[in-house]
Amino acid sequence: MARILENYGLDILKAEGILVVEFSVATSPEEAGAFAEKIGRPVVVKALVPIGKRGKAGAVKFADNSQEATEAARSLLGTEVKGYPVKKVLVAEKVQATNELYFSISINPSSAQIAVVVSLSGGVDIEEVAANSPEKIVTYFSNPLEEFASHHSLEIMSKVGLEGRNLVKVAGLLRKFYQIFNKYDATLLEINPLFITSEGNVIVPACMLSVDDGALFRQKELANVAHEGSERSWKPLTEIERRVQEVHDKDPYRGTARYTELDGGDIGFMCGGGGGSLLSFDEILAAGGKPTNYTEFGGNPPEDKVYGLAKCILSKSSVNGLFVAHNITNNTQVDVEARGIVRAIKEMGIDPATFPIVTRMPGVNEAEGFRILKEAGIECYGEELTMATAAKRMVEKMKQLL
Amino acid sequence: MSILLSDDTRVVIQGITGREASMVTEYILQYGTKVVGGVTPGKSGQMVRGVPVYNTISELMGEQQANTSLVYVPPGAVLDAVREAVDSGIKLIVIITENVPQHDSIKINWLAKKAGAKVIGPNSVGMISPAHHVKLGAIGGDNTERCFVPGTVGVISRSGGMTAETAWMVKRAGFGVSTCISIGGDPIIGTPPVELLKMFQEDEGTEAVVMFGEPGTSFEEDAANFVKSGGFTKPLIAFVAGKFTESMPEGTVFGHAASIISKGMGKPSTKMKKLEEAGALIAYSHDDIIPLLKQIFEKR
Repeated sequence: MARILENYGLDILKAEGILVVEFSVATSPEEAGAFAEKIGRPVVVKALVPIGKRGKAGAVKFADNSQEATEAARSLLGTEVKGYPVKKVLVAEKVQATNELYFSISINPSSAQIAVVVSLSGGVDIEEVAANSPEKIVTYFSNPLEEFASHHSLEIMSKVGLEGRNLVKVAGLLRKFYQIFNKYDATLLEINPLFITSEGNVIVPACMLSVDDGALFRQKELANVAHEGSERSWKPLTEIERRVQEVHDKDPYRGTARYTELDGGDIGFMCGGGGGSLLSFDEILAAGGKPTNYTEFGGNPPEDKVYGLAKCILSKSSVNGLFVAHNITNNTQVDVEARGIVRAIKEMGIDPATFPIVTRMPGVNEAEGFRILKEAGIECYGEELTMATAAKRMVEKMKQLL
Repeated sequence: MSILLSDDTRVVIQGITGREASMVTEYILQYGTKVVGGVTPGKSGQMVRGVPVYNTISELMGEQQANTSLVYVPPGAVLDAVREAVDSGIKLIVIITENVPQHDSIKINWLAKKAGAKVIGPNSVGMISPAHHVKLGAIGGDNTERCFVPGTVGVISRSGGMTAETAWMVKRAGFGVSTCISIGGDPIIGTPPVELLKMFQEDEGTEAVVMFGEPGTSFEEDAANFVKSGGFTKPLIAFVAGKFTESMPEGTVFGHAASIISKGMGKPSTKMKKLEEAGALIAYSHDDIIPLLKQIFEKR
């Protein structure tokens, strides 16, 4: 899942013919003030960061005039919201609404359906509405093989309690939202609130859009604006995380190398397989050790990728040891992995006699792999040691050598 | 005995001419799997490791009778490949391809449901039934017997790599496996554990099941409810990896795409608690699978 910043989301809605508020992106307080001056109406100033619930985080401010807008932007720019640095703000016209509605369209994995959630109680946390007055929410699950027809949309909006002109108007809009959701391979499109004004206009003041990063190959125009990978760490990438990303992207279709930097800890963690890495991390903790990063690699990576990943892991200043473990591989070549690891260690001047390293790497071409590791003085195991036992051995070795 | 695979399994490989697909073709042929043909549009008449290539499945069906498909086409072509397979009457489709768009995955589910076909994956490493010498996908690589020997334990795993490691635990304990299924690491997959437990319940050749779980989704919770309601009455050993993710910031993916705790849902501790309450035997460490299996079979 990749989050799309709000201004791009609003651009998409606008391009699809939906009425959205007047807005602009400002990188300085003065720019924000100038836009407020230009439209000559009260505005909303929001930190432009790829997260939801910004109001609760204090990242949404209201301003009645240009001067207030300048001040609001000044108070937001340069701060951090949930770890994200605020480099830009969104300045949007403030609209007076008589009704505030809630819309969300998302993929419901367990039933393999698209879920449409609608409520007339918009503008607040939908979780609260769901908890306190569930009757105010209508949820509809669509059959993905069928068209979301006009009557589906009318049925939903009628059920939630809209009537007359508003019913017809908003139902048309919901159908449009649904089409946009499909067209852009979205995983979430949330409009909260949708405004109905006293003149009967329906206008979108805000939107949250996430798209499937697995579909970016066919959403070329979104690729540049998607904060790809943000789901793996809901915070900006650290320096080492960025470097591992580069290592991976150099040869993106062969093997995986993922790295998440963690607070504290001293064991460089380099484990393989989606499930195997989860298990190994649990076992290190259970044995009383603490990894200083999480890593997952596998899928038969080339030597350069293993080498690059190992170097990045070992480059963190708090690393005092290295644990490499994976399940018995189906296709990953152990000799290739061993070469990458040994190259990284030699290049960094690490001596396995004093720096604790434990490897547990059974699988394809393991005999050659073990030979390479042993020759470099690295403690290595195959299937004779389970992953859990290898983790215990690692923690024990840390205690011996430190 | 086994589920889904049998002596009658006849396989077509969609996307057979790709690098990984042709390597896997060699491994699964060596193991004894009957591969009746491959499909790559525009490459009809070629051979891959002795297997004839056709432009379409319907062209192949004129000469061969495939009942199972192994899908290796690129992510954007998977939906069409599945459509072609179900339209040709194929009833078991195993999707190895990773990164299938979610909008396609939900359609794949519904297409299969409509046609009465079973889909395993996407993002699966495959499945295997040693008694029949049938395997689909890279599972077991070129050294299948190392981890997979015939027996009466079913294996359901959300992790491809850990399918082999778990089967090897079964072997270490002195037993063997009936069918092992890598169900796929995506949030939207064709056949969740409950469906497989239903089949294992019916299968006379399966006496117990080991399940490898992960954070995220409600697969394990659903399995617990199924066991509790009496749908699965054989011994079930459950392991859930990734307990540490509960102390990490919510909404972060560790491991597979589906391995994400969000809004308090999908916690390993909750999964284990529900499974235990339902009567499953919990392996707190993956190593515990061995004594638990011994305990089950020594009772008999």
